Amino acid sequence: MENKKELEQITNCALCANMCKYSCPVYLATGNETVTPQKKARLILYKKKAFIEDEKGFFDVMFQCAMGGACKVNCLYDNFDLRDFIQGERSEAFKKGILPDETRKRVETFTRFGNPDGERQLIQKGKGEIGYFVSCSTYNDQQLLKAVEKILARSGEQVQQFGGADICCGAPLYYAGDMEGFKKAAEKMKGEIEQRKLRKVISSCPTCIKMMTEIYDEIGTHLDAEFIHITEFLDHLVKEGKIKVNKANATATFHDPCILANDIGVTTAPRDIIKMLGFEIKEPIYFGKEAHCCGEVPGGRIGDSKLVDKVNAMRINELKETTADVYISACPTCKAALSDIDMKDIAEVVAEQIIDG
Amino acid sequence: MSVETFMAKRGEVPSKFIEKVKGAVGEENISQSECDLISYSLDYWLYGVFLSQYGKLPSLPSVVISPRNSQEIQSILKYANEYKVGITPFGAGSGVLGGAIPIEGDAVLNLQRMNRFISLDGTSCVAEFEGGIIGANLERELNHRGYSMGSIPQSFYCSTLGGWISTRAVGQFSTKYGKIEDMVLGMEVVLPDGNPLNIKPVPRRSTGPSLKELFLGGEGTLGIVTKAVVSVHPLPERTIKQSFVFDSIEVALEVVRKILRGDAKPAVVRIFDEPETARYFEEIENKVTLIFISEGETDFVELEGKLIKRIAEENGGESFGENPVDIWLEKRFDIGLGPIIMQQGGIVDTIEVVSLFKDAVNLYNDMVSAMRAVEGAISVSGHYSHFYREGACLYITFAGFPKDPSRYYKDSWTAAMEATLKNNGSISHHHGIGFWRKEFMQQELGPYGVELLRRIKFALDQNGILNRGKLI
Repeated sequence: MENKKELEQITNCALCANMCKYSCPVYLATGNETVTPQKKARLILYKKKAFIEDEKGFFDVMFQCAMGGACKVNCLYDNFDLRDFIQGERSEAFKKGILPDETRKRVETFTRFGNPDGERQLIQKGKGEIGYFVSCSTYNDQQLLKAVEKILARSGEQVQQFGGADICCGAPLYYAGDMEGFKKAAEKMKGEIEQRKLRKVISSCPTCIKMMTEIYDEIGTHLDAEFIHITEFLDHLVKEGKIKVNKANATATFHDPCILANDIGVTTAPRDIIKMLGFEIKEPIYFGKEAHCCGEVPGGRIGDSKLVDKVNAMRINELKETTADVYISACPTCKAALSDIDMKDIAEVVAEQIIDG
Repeated sequence: MSVETFMAKRGEVPSKFIEKVKGAVGEENISQSECDLISYSLDYWLYGVFLSQYGKLPSLPSVVISPRNSQEIQSILKYANEYKVGITPFGAGSGVLGGAIPIEGDAVLNLQRMNRFISLDGTSCVAEFEGGIIGANLERELNHRGYSMGSIPQSFYCSTLGGWISTRAVGQFSTKYGKIEDMVLGMEVVLPDGNPLNIKPVPRRSTGPSLKELFLGGEGTLGIVTKAVVSVHPLPERTIKQSFVFDSIEVALEVVRKILRGDAKPAVVRIFDEPETARYFEEIENKVTLIFISEGETDFVELEGKLIKRIAEENGGESFGENPVDIWLEKRFDIGLGPIIMQQGGIVDTIEVVSLFKDAVNLYNDMVSAMRAVEGAISVSGHYSHFYREGACLYITFAGFPKDPSRYYKDSWTAAMEATLKNNGSISHHHGIGFWRKEFMQQELGPYGVELLRRIKFALDQNGILNRGKLI
């Protein structure tokens, strides 16, 4: 443990009654006590005190976390985020080369191509001081890209789109614990933004926004630009009347992306947009900051693909229960993970309702 | 493995048992990994929690088995009988008497995969759940559909329905909605020999002694509760919050006694003694605080509110409005101070007992003074909650910074139990017995009472496999 305060914090968590476990999607999907926040804290404490012998087993548990922040939202203690400690252990796991297979494969791809998916074309369109960053999750989503293009064209704003090739915020390396690689990715991203002279960057991916703000700051990579999630941009466009929309006559369920709700704190704007589009919102049992994670991608925030499937199946079942006409999210990764229920990104829904002309 | 165990070494199980259980639950649902053994080694028995920070655990399970349904549990228990393997059921590990600790190094049966909402029957006001669902998730399922079970214990976020049944648990809103035994209409149980028992949900029956009572407080020694049908209520239409301060516990108890004799059923009734008043409510000095929450249909609630106010004020109560109630509602789950005290070498715990009204004041005075006299005691405070027309539960919170933590913990408990028995009280209102409190069971039930429980246990569990070392 780096310092006394950190030791006190992790011990508080380890001695707590697990008051946040009910909110942990990985626990709820598996019923496994070991993956609950308080037990992870006990294991981390024991690792630091050299009580753990099975290092591989310990690191596997550290990768059995969606890193969505439910425990932080429901924590008894101020200024404590168990994810910081899990992240520290992931970093240790990376240094020792003890990674889950799926995670290792993702890191290897990233090392080779500068992104987690493989060879990609550079995207560079338009001009202006505002940038739309095509995240890795957005790159392969042609429907979303077309929707964003349509919205930008009608918005009256000068926005340049960039992304693809080896431009990535570095989140896959961060969650794999490769902090050196992540720092390089962050510096590269800083260069990409500075060379385009961007004062504001919009992204559809909440994780990119979290990385480029909170996490870059933590590792000492400071960017001068403002970063906003596309929901905030869309909310502004619709409320200011910069784009005119038709009113739908249907019901919609919004799946809150965990990073957007828990870390960026955006839960109202997407609902305002959906209501302005004329939808009646049907909330699932767990929504807003209580929403459960989609499971993300195998080897992403969760290292084990079977566990990803369980978290994913649980969330799909929760959403299906609303029997809404349309399912909407605001994260391309959530959209892909929840594709079994024909999920749309909020930008696509806005684009569909735009009044031409 | 480098952790130290202070009750028993990790047990061993025959490899044939492991193989057979694997066949029943699947390979991924049985584990002997170090991380799993550590995670299922302890519940929220607070002296054990205190020691856990130093890498000391009571004992480690031989294996952790996580079944998905009743059928899998039936198989597991049949194999456990065949190979004489001890089984410790593990709900969510929030029990404070060590009931879920595998104190003999037994196999842990993790029940948390069985965590689903099954159905709601709004016409009959009942809902069915699997036993492993956490309270907060259960209530969320009901609230989403316009209902509430009304069971909100302090462990709401970390305890299960099955755990509530097994310990005869009680929630903070119990004076209106009842205790768990009032809420459970039926249940599905797996008996120790692996046979299933289905107690169908009806409001009442006259079919001999009530079998469900065996499992309401059975603490996992007589069977495994896998599903339950519980009573539910429509979400309240109106809520009235009131508070009053008094000069003494005695007067406050008398006020509640009169209110309940008037057939009022406030959901929450709590009397905080002076130390707890000081801890919760900065604005109130040197007084005892009494809070009420009335909720339900508007007409009833308003009538009840008037009755409470009249009786409280007729007996010298000074109204403090809604604010103390809101403060309590905000702080009621905050157990954050406990871990901080434990890290500094302090011991903390709570003890809940129950008596008739006639003994209530003496019980409070005797219990608090006896516990304050224990060497190392820093704080002993209490509140009365969970009221009946006949009496109430006294809930004591204590903390100390002793030279000898083990001695202090033991002596505090002994002082509390002796004061309770002296004042005709019962040694537990709703936390149960576990292993820690069982030495007082002889005095509680008498020698024939304990023997009767032993015979019942033997009749159901001849090989003695379920939750060994607990309850009796």
